[in-house]
Amino acid sequence: MSLQVFATLLLGGVAVLDATPIAQTLLSQPLVTATLLGAIWGEWRVALEVGVVLQILAASTSPIGARTPEDYASGGVVGAGVALAIVLRRHLLMLDDAAALVGVLAGLVTATFGVPLIKWQRRRNEGLSRWCEAEVRRGDGGATGAAQRAGVALAFAAGAAYCAACLALGVWLLGPLAGRHSLRLARAWTLAQPLWIGLGLAQLLQAFVQRRLIRAALFAMAMLAAWLLLMMTGH
Amino acid sequence: MGRLKSRDLWRMALRSLFLQATFNYERQQGLGWAWALQPALERLYPDPVELRERLTEHTAYFNTQPTLASLALGAVAALEEGRAAGEGPDAAALARIKSVLGSSLAALGDRLFWFTLRPVAALLGVLVALGGSWLGAVALWVCYNLFHLGVRFLGVGWGYRAGTAVLDPAKRRRFERLTGLLGLLGTVLTGVTTAWLLVPGGEPRPLVFQTVLAAGLGLGLVAAARPRPSPTEWALGVGALCVAATWFR
Repeated sequence: MSLQVFATLLLGGVAVLDATPIAQTLLSQPLVTATLLGAIWGEWRVALEVGVVLQILAASTSPIGARTPEDYASGGVVGAGVALAIVLRRHLLMLDDAAALVGVLAGLVTATFGVPLIKWQRRRNEGLSRWCEAEVRRGDGGATGAAQRAGVALAFAAGAAYCAACLALGVWLLGPLAGRHSLRLARAWTLAQPLWIGLGLAQLLQAFVQRRLIRAALFAMAMLAAWLLLMMTGH
Repeated sequence: MGRLKSRDLWRMALRSLFLQATFNYERQQGLGWAWALQPALERLYPDPVELRERLTEHTAYFNTQPTLASLALGAVAALEEGRAAGEGPDAAALARIKSVLGSSLAALGDRLFWFTLRPVAALLGVLVALGGSWLGAVALWVCYNLFHLGVRFLGVGWGYRAGTAVLDPAKRRRFERLTGLLGLLGTVLTGVTTAWLLVPGGEPRPLVFQTVLAAGLGLGLVAAARPRPSPTEWALGVGALCVAATWFR
């Protein structure tokens, strides 16, 4: 268990690094982190359910220009982590759904409250950047590398610490709630899951279609064709 | 003064992965840019005073879409090579070219990578994951990184060879066509994902699920027309409402 928690926090730090400071390979996306956590904790179903919902909502959140987007890197790790920590205590189907609901909620709250932390880091980086320029002017060419390393270390430490705090708070607050009221929360999940997915899909659809009639028709045709194909080839 | 070697270009490409390591509101990618360009500057300016001057200049404000920054890095390295040989533009002109390149590449890259390829990769991953497979994450990652890491590693060389012509009208049109095609693919994938959610594996979902999914789509289209609240805030509100609705029923 402690090894799994440690791996989750490590993944939190790595995901935060991937989101902005290093490479941006989408390793930080909720579906990827939830799948990795599913492998680490040995529970795929709940991890994927949380990952899919958070992924659809995260897909329309873009880091354009100086805009500080919601922190879905931490949100994805904390959301799946909270759900898995709850579900692995007692394995009941109803608890699975309750855990998925509180996991997604924990992920959304973590993503929202992660914004001030990202802003704080960027302000710290301003100081680092000014220090670096002064050092380079003095003739220390190695200052650029030192500043880069400091930026990476700060992002990793802040990301891992934030994930640890949110994970602990989430399990402590929501764990007993999910255990006691699993029936109510499981009912809420049957409502919230399609609503969240619909909400996210609509954001993506709007971004792809861009008020073009032909694309809207293409969406309708693709949906209809896939629906017919599934009905014919399915049961 | 020496000419740049392919080893320098590879070092720049690797360092470009850290372009945003010290991203900040004041200079944005400025420091990461200087660090990524440093191998080229060290090769081109053996005089420490001149090297210091050029490196300091490159720590100034710079911002572009991080994947396509590789192209700008290569193009600016080529300009620096010309400048070091006494043929290229002066420092002020080079700064202007760098700024124009940054904003042009950002306009193309934001649309291609952030608004199109990333959602397409996410939808592909979600579609696979909806079938209960862990391969969804792999599909997402591979689909995005075939382009992303490909451009990141090869882009410096392309930019270096093309110089300021890195964004000539023909290449710009090719980028825009690719964005358009990916947009069409994204539209189709959204349709297929919606169909899969309604009848996964040919087994229709309960009517309540289908109705609530349609309500979510409608709400999402209304929400997408406004900048505030953000989709995440909408999702939080919707989640809280669902919990309240079942709690007090």
